[in-house]
Amino acid sequence: MSSATASWRTWLTSRSPRSRRQAWLGQAYLGWLSLLRNPVALLGLAIVLLLVLTAIFAPLLATHDPLAQDLAKRLSPPGTAGHWLGTDEFGRDLWSRMVYGARVTLYIVLLVVATAPVFGLAIGTAAGYFGGLVDVVLMRLTDIFLAFPRLILALAFVAALGPGIGNAVLAIALTAWPPYARVARAETLTVRNSDYIAAEQLQGFGAWRIVTGHVMPLCLSSVIVRITLDMAGIILVAAGLGFLGLGAQPPLPEWGLMISSGRKYLFDQWWVATVPGLAIFVVSLGFNLLGDGLRDVLDPRSASR
Amino acid sequence: MALIEIAGLEVVFAARGEAVRAVRGIDLSVEPRESFGLVGESGSGKSTVLRALCGLAPVSAGRALIDGRAPPALGRIGSRDRAFARRVQMVFQDPYGSLHPRHTVDRVLSEPLLVHGLGGRRERDRRVEAALQDVGLDASFRFRYPHQLSGGQRQRVAVARALMLEPSVLLLDEPTSALDASVQAEVLNLLSRLREERGLTFLMVSHDFAVIDHMCDRLAVMQQGRIVEVLDREALARGAVREDYTRALLAASQAHAPVQ
Repeated sequence: MSSATASWRTWLTSRSPRSRRQAWLGQAYLGWLSLLRNPVALLGLAIVLLLVLTAIFAPLLATHDPLAQDLAKRLSPPGTAGHWLGTDEFGRDLWSRMVYGARVTLYIVLLVVATAPVFGLAIGTAAGYFGGLVDVVLMRLTDIFLAFPRLILALAFVAALGPGIGNAVLAIALTAWPPYARVARAETLTVRNSDYIAAEQLQGFGAWRIVTGHVMPLCLSSVIVRITLDMAGIILVAAGLGFLGLGAQPPLPEWGLMISSGRKYLFDQWWVATVPGLAIFVVSLGFNLLGDGLRDVLDPRSASR
Repeated sequence: MALIEIAGLEVVFAARGEAVRAVRGIDLSVEPRESFGLVGESGSGKSTVLRALCGLAPVSAGRALIDGRAPPALGRIGSRDRAFARRVQMVFQDPYGSLHPRHTVDRVLSEPLLVHGLGGRRERDRRVEAALQDVGLDASFRFRYPHQLSGGQRQRVAVARALMLEPSVLLLDEPTSALDASVQAEVLNLLSRLREERGLTFLMVSHDFAVIDHMCDRLAVMQQGRIVEVLDREALARGAVREDYTRALLAASQAHAPVQ
């Protein structure tokens, strides 16, 4: 067994890999090793993994149906038999609602990640690579979006499109892309005048191939770092929209919505708002720590390679 | 007709409202299979001439033709010119900046073939291996990243890349100035050998007379964007130099030449 792991390690760290896949896996392995050297980032990764696992196994972890009301037991404090985190104003189990809330949060996070950074990256690299008029038009557009306060713009979108979690995600994505465009453009500007891009142009590569295959991968690490650092903010905006009643709609167990409904009981039944609040806090912290660690691993300037 | 023809070439860069005239009207012609050198101190515009010839710098006035064709304006939408790419390639000065940091040697060498639709997967594999062998690197280098290579090895990869499309003209922008002396000789010998084997035409820029003398049949001395003097190798060997500027450059380079 140990000799098998040892031979895997030699294969991964080989100075002269024999295939594309081996070379790529070797690089990924080195990145993983440097992440392992950073305990804080590992903690962040553990929290994010915990969120994912909780979302996947929510039906197994929850002790109650998150929507089942039991008015006889409403506002039971933590430690009550059968409800170890207590219940809310309808007698719903807070632990189960928090566990199912992980699904909603993860859904929001994944949808935003799948849209805003991709769009921002495309706009930013195109602006940076082509320059001139393309740059001016795209970046002024970005500036306009950037000038709006994020929550207010999201509010306006939701108000126009109607409340709901899908529209909340769309609104967040629409307000979240400009920073990615900025980051991607800045990275592209440092890359576009390099000799290797010139060499690729000279080889007759089209602009599409250079931007997607050669410029974007170099912007990707800063964008990924930016995503993980932004994630906390995105979760908070989603929670804020939920809190204002414009995001997730009752009775969906969304953390922001749960805080909103717990607000009325904050002084006497503190746990109703505190439990989802702690969940938001821990997950945001996890993404932030992971982002800091990834910056050390992925940023080619800080790494020794 | 000459293969490379430059007539009245001017290159003007606009920098913060100020026009910088990097090349101020030069005429030059290079015959097929000739090896021509451009010498001058830094800032004399010699590299700009190369960049203008392949479309990396703007031709503000005059002509810069290779095989009777003007260079494409690179970096714009729809500016790709595949036929030009298969005729002219360039080797850059800094081997640390001319290879994509996240691409393996294999990708660097096989992508041009892919873009130009040359050969299937197996044929590409074969040509990548052959190209590595041609520049004196064994197959173990194929899947390495640039940061796993030395400066000389990187420059060999850059030469191999430039030759992947089998161009007839190679523009060399101080290909050895970033390398240490022993590696410099290896790369120069490699270039000479490849030129002989493939019948290439070289246009080479250097600030080093010794390098140009080793590589080139004829040379032009540049100063402040103009050509001061054109010499052939014999004239250089005899010291039959007309201009004072050339004499000063020559003296400076001989002062630094190793004792033999």
